[in-house]
Amino acid sequence: MASNWTERISAFCCSPSGFLLGTHPDAFLAELLRELRDDRASYGVKVLLLSPLCEYPTLLCSSESVGEETALDLMSVFTQCPPRSSQFRCHLLVALTSVLVCSSCVSNRSRASLDFIDLLLQISQDTSDLHGDGTQRCSRATACDCLCEIEASCPGLLSQRLELLAGLRQQETSWLHQAYAGLQILVLRNAVYQLTKQTGAGAAHLKALLDGNTSVAWEADQEAFHMDTKDSAIQSSLILGPMGRVPTLHTGPDCKELRSVLSSLLEDSYLLTPLCQAALFHRLTEVVAMVPGIPPTIFRAQLLRLLGTNEVCLLHVTLLMKCAFTDSLFSAEDEAFLLKRLVVLSQHPLLSTPEKLFYMDCILHFPENRPISCGDSDEALPVLLTPQLASALLPTVFNDSATLLARLHLQALVFLEEGEEEGRGLAYIYDHLTALLHIVDRGGSRDIVVTFFRAAFLFLFYFQHVEGYSARLSEQLCQLYLQHTQLAPHILNLVDNTLERLPECNWALGLLQGLQRVITTAPLGQVTLGDLSCHLKVLARVAEEGKISQRSTLGFLSAVITQSSSLLCTSGDWRMGNGVLGVCRRVLLHPSLDSLLIPLADILQHLTCYYDDTDIQDHARLYYTLLTTLSREKLSVVLAQSAAEGGGQVKKRTLSCVMAESEGLTNILTVHQTEQPVFQLTEALSGLQQEMENLQLSQDEGDKALESYRAQFSESGFASQIMLKYHLTHTEPHDPRFEQIFSICLHFSLTDDHYEQLLDISVPCLFRQRPPPVVQLTLKPRRPYPTTIHVSAVFTSKDGLTWHTTMPDVHVEFQQAFLPLPVPLSWSRASRRDVFEGLWDEFCSEMGDCIISLFCCQLREAALKALVEKHFLPFLVSDLSQEDKVRVLLFLPPRSHVLLKISSEEDATQFNMATDTRQLLPHMNSYLLTVTSSQDESVR
Amino acid sequence: MSLRALWIISNEKGQKASIRFSKRFSTVEHRARNLAGSSYVAVPEDSDFLQLLLTELGLSNSNKSYVADRDDCLYRPRSPAVELRLNGKGTLWPVLVLSQGPLILACLPLVDIPSEPRPPLASLLSVSQGLTLLAGLQTFLLGSGVKLDSEGLASRVATLPSLLLQVCPLGTPLDTPLAGTPTASTVPISTVTQKQPAWKTGVYRGRATVNVAVVETVRSMQYGNQSRQDLWDVYGTVTCKCEVEGALPNVTVTLSLPPNGSPLQDILVHPCVTSLDSSILTASSVDNADGSAFSGPYKFPFSPPLEPFRLCSYTSQVPVPPILGSYQLKEEENNLRVSVSLKLHESVRNSFEYCEAHLPFFNRNQMGVVDVKVSSGQLDVSKEKNLLVWGLGQKFPKSREVTLDGKISFTGSSHGPSDPLCTGLTAYIKLYLKVPDTTLSGCCVDQNSVQVYSSAKPRIVTSRELQSKEYFIWNSTGSAPVSSGQVMM
Repeated sequence: MASNWTERISAFCCSPSGFLLGTHPDAFLAELLRELRDDRASYGVKVLLLSPLCEYPTLLCSSESVGEETALDLMSVFTQCPPRSSQFRCHLLVALTSVLVCSSCVSNRSRASLDFIDLLLQISQDTSDLHGDGTQRCSRATACDCLCEIEASCPGLLSQRLELLAGLRQQETSWLHQAYAGLQILVLRNAVYQLTKQTGAGAAHLKALLDGNTSVAWEADQEAFHMDTKDSAIQSSLILGPMGRVPTLHTGPDCKELRSVLSSLLEDSYLLTPLCQAALFHRLTEVVAMVPGIPPTIFRAQLLRLLGTNEVCLLHVTLLMKCAFTDSLFSAEDEAFLLKRLVVLSQHPLLSTPEKLFYMDCILHFPENRPISCGDSDEALPVLLTPQLASALLPTVFNDSATLLARLHLQALVFLEEGEEEGRGLAYIYDHLTALLHIVDRGGSRDIVVTFFRAAFLFLFYFQHVEGYSARLSEQLCQLYLQHTQLAPHILNLVDNTLERLPECNWALGLLQGLQRVITTAPLGQVTLGDLSCHLKVLARVAEEGKISQRSTLGFLSAVITQSSSLLCTSGDWRMGNGVLGVCRRVLLHPSLDSLLIPLADILQHLTCYYDDTDIQDHARLYYTLLTTLSREKLSVVLAQSAAEGGGQVKKRTLSCVMAESEGLTNILTVHQTEQPVFQLTEALSGLQQEMENLQLSQDEGDKALESYRAQFSESGFASQIMLKYHLTHTEPHDPRFEQIFSICLHFSLTDDHYEQLLDISVPCLFRQRPPPVVQLTLKPRRPYPTTIHVSAVFTSKDGLTWHTTMPDVHVEFQQAFLPLPVPLSWSRASRRDVFEGLWDEFCSEMGDCIISLFCCQLREAALKALVEKHFLPFLVSDLSQEDKVRVLLFLPPRSHVLLKISSEEDATQFNMATDTRQLLPHMNSYLLTVTSSQDESVR
Repeated sequence: MSLRALWIISNEKGQKASIRFSKRFSTVEHRARNLAGSSYVAVPEDSDFLQLLLTELGLSNSNKSYVADRDDCLYRPRSPAVELRLNGKGTLWPVLVLSQGPLILACLPLVDIPSEPRPPLASLLSVSQGLTLLAGLQTFLLGSGVKLDSEGLASRVATLPSLLLQVCPLGTPLDTPLAGTPTASTVPISTVTQKQPAWKTGVYRGRATVNVAVVETVRSMQYGNQSRQDLWDVYGTVTCKCEVEGALPNVTVTLSLPPNGSPLQDILVHPCVTSLDSSILTASSVDNADGSAFSGPYKFPFSPPLEPFRLCSYTSQVPVPPILGSYQLKEEENNLRVSVSLKLHESVRNSFEYCEAHLPFFNRNQMGVVDVKVSSGQLDVSKEKNLLVWGLGQKFPKSREVTLDGKISFTGSSHGPSDPLCTGLTAYIKLYLKVPDTTLSGCCVDQNSVQVYSSAKPRIVTSRELQSKEYFIWNSTGSAPVSSGQVMM
């Protein structure tokens, strides 16, 4: 059982949505809670069972009421759990916090959440095991952490407890004082924030808050205030930089009490772990920023310790402090020191790369005492960062790629700031880029190749206007390409990005021209087929640029297909032919086509005659015909239309498939994906009722009814299927392309393993005007649970294209698996009744998975009758008119039964249930809930 | 200041990357939804997350040379925080990533300030906290080595739920996992009047012992070329292990330099150091060296944690490298003529724990005939026949100079390793050395300067050591890569 849970929990955590397709969240939650209450389960397993509740409480507790009930259940588990299993108790507290916070119980001050907070406060004050083994201490720490989280999610909730918390912290000598300190400062911070939002609040209110003797009037205010604290501003950090606004509380200089609380917290700060210290300083900074009566110099004594620290979070919080207090806490020397320190740390040999890069980011967003720029989020270098200081961060080829790029970025900003375009700095950067290029040239790894192109883009982004360098880079890239044609996609990506990001810059066009030149002038004899394929890609891209002359490209193509004809034309490589046609096609659209007419026509004609692939010949012939017969305008319209989306279906299809070489061809050869579902399966009424007639030929089975009923199951496949009928209909809004569709192949895929895999179903055609075809799904359940089936289809549209479409999911409801008792039609009612009674007695024994249950609701006589007739008629084994108890037998393949005895008692309608498959109960329950509530409404 | 989720991924060579552990902090997620409002982006399920992260880190589809999503040349900072673009469902940011060896650790800090426009990383305290937690987890999972011991890892991953209950129960990191368990006997504190630090789980009982070790590491790039300045630098760490009684005992360690020693720079201290003199922090390696700088003694008062820890680190600008080398290669008809000389500086103690020079050869065939003579030490050819290992033993000869001369033919049958940097005559020697009981900067801890404020007289052990890292001597007849931009400028 334990291993089963391990698997299930890990399956759940791996993909909660997938897991819950197969199991109802309520059912899963109920199972978890039952197992948690089970004394036989080990605490190891129980801790595991809590993880879904800790990590995904909202999936399991969909509403506040479910959350509330779950919390009550968990709290009862907690009270029954012996104190010695403290690990489990701590996990329970965490799970309870998760459930209550996430299901909004805490923010709505629900009963359970208030009880839970009381429990936490009680645990956190329980110092009974002062001399014990410390397990209690662990619970106390966790209780504080939970309170902290509750206060963070629901600010102000604990503000009345400030004095208590302060006392607890001061008395505590064990390491637990850290947990109290974290809680105290957070509650204090939220309380002060709330005061700042109250008009007229001042020193007296603050004092009252800290003393814990809040006046009644003020408490009422508090309540009113709680209502609008749901907005998130209070949860946001108040340190936002120079432009951030901090709400302030005007207390005058007299706030001794607050000052002494803050001093005491600061004094103990050294005793906290670095992570908690950082959080404490952050909160303290916020409080001091909100209360101008407290001078920031209160932090002075801690500062030197923080400035020298090797802990990233402590130095970081110091920077945030600087951001909040600027020169009221940090002198100009401090500022210079901090910046130098960041430069040192950004390249310190003892730090990890992510840390170094984080420090570099801190340089880019250095909180200056007197910032010049207006504090937008764009990176602005601190004034103190001179090129000389920044030179410690120049990139080298020994850097890893992330560091290299980050350094390059920083230096680019430095040199840009300095306007130093002819200087040595830029020369260094360029040399560095060249060094990278050489590494790529000598066969650097994929990582280095990508890094080089990113570096090149960064360089161009900032220095494309420095022509000496950008022209040289272009030249070097062309040479690089010639040596390594497989870099074509990288180079074209660089071209596209530069064109997009730097629209005014001509550099990319220059590079394309350069590429065209090197490709067309290189000796043809050395070009391999691999090279050629890359060349054709590049030339196709070049041909898209109207400003670049295509004459040399055509010259190259002509040379390729004629001079080395033995190689290319006779090989008849379809892809290569398409590559050539791809270039031709773009040239057909080129603005200077008129002057290229003859060479292009020659190429196309040559291909038509000599290329050893019929398909390529055909295409070339068509292009040739178009080129020689159509006017330029028509040609561009025809070609552009085939390239663009939309347009008339039939014409588009034929044109595009013949015209647009590779794309066009693949158009007809590939399967297209529809954007929207084209058709759907809608439920058709099943013919169950009809089959249930003809009970006259009754044949009595005598005493052995149950036995002979059971015997039937020895035959394999007996009553193992459910037939569901659906209509196949078009979806709205209708798409004229799919008015008539043919050869539909429906494919079903299951989302769980409750059913056997379904076979594909073929439907010859679907016309909008005709009645919808009926599709019968044959489901073979392994377990008759509700399920969702993904449906997709492949079909042919009228214009001959093949399409793939995803259809709306088919949801198989629980009641769709209901079948009447599977016995021969000839059986008498009495025999059926015997089977029912036999099964009922058996199930009542509650052996194995058998279980009985009771469902009650308020239904009037008439409503009940209507309900039975509407929902249970086919499954009745008793005569509706004769007996006071209605007996219903639901058979669910492969061999589950749910028996119902429905009766009207004076105060309620009772549905007595018995089943041999315990897992069906939650489904049955929710089914009854639906049918009874809907019945209720319809009768009223 | 909290994390929304945490992942631990193993990505071993030749195996499919998989998520070993993941944890979502639902209450923090609840806050994230509240804070972000309409711009909230939910955390994807594990399998989607893994795929997106691998693509962003350039680790997906390693068999394809170009994948547009992965290799786009547009620059985005990818470390320490990456952004994951979910298909049409917004962008997940900032995902902090730490990877070492076969492990990738990632977490998603809560953005607790307005997320539009995107705030700088530096304004989110949760980022540095997340980095600290990840680094702590990394050390805990991998131990000291980078080699993955898969059984050990599995057992450590199994303890994560209970570990996280201590260090990050509800998404707010409180502490990092303890790297090494304290060896000494400790007892939990029962009744003391003094507050106990949260970073100390008990108190030590027994004889007071303080162990202070100074380890200096020297790096060097030597070009043997008039036009290129040779480079070297030294950084040191002071590691302590203190076994002292009391909840908050006071210890002071003092570092001192010889009379003419150059000042210690870039001093970083452990958070257990209680106070610092501001003059200690002033010297910085990125400053123009100031002759009047403070040069000690450097006092570090602190209250020690139970486990061994790094009290402080520093850098130093020493006037000379410990070993000055020259390396010359000449391509002859079928041979490569090799000539090396190494000279130990007179100020360095001539007593090594080990000293080895490695001469690797890239982009060539395996070595055939190796006709090389050394004036001292022992020469070995590696099994793969692409590396000469020159063991110099414990001592340089009296002259403090050793040489290697000879010819190598690369006539082996198969190709040796390739390297895009070391082509043609670009080649290097890498030195591995360790010298006990010395430091290059002269920095030392005098036993008598260690003060422990306790009743019993403590046992004090101090040690010094010099080691090398990235100590390169480049062939002066070939081109060598630039290793520091600062010098070039």
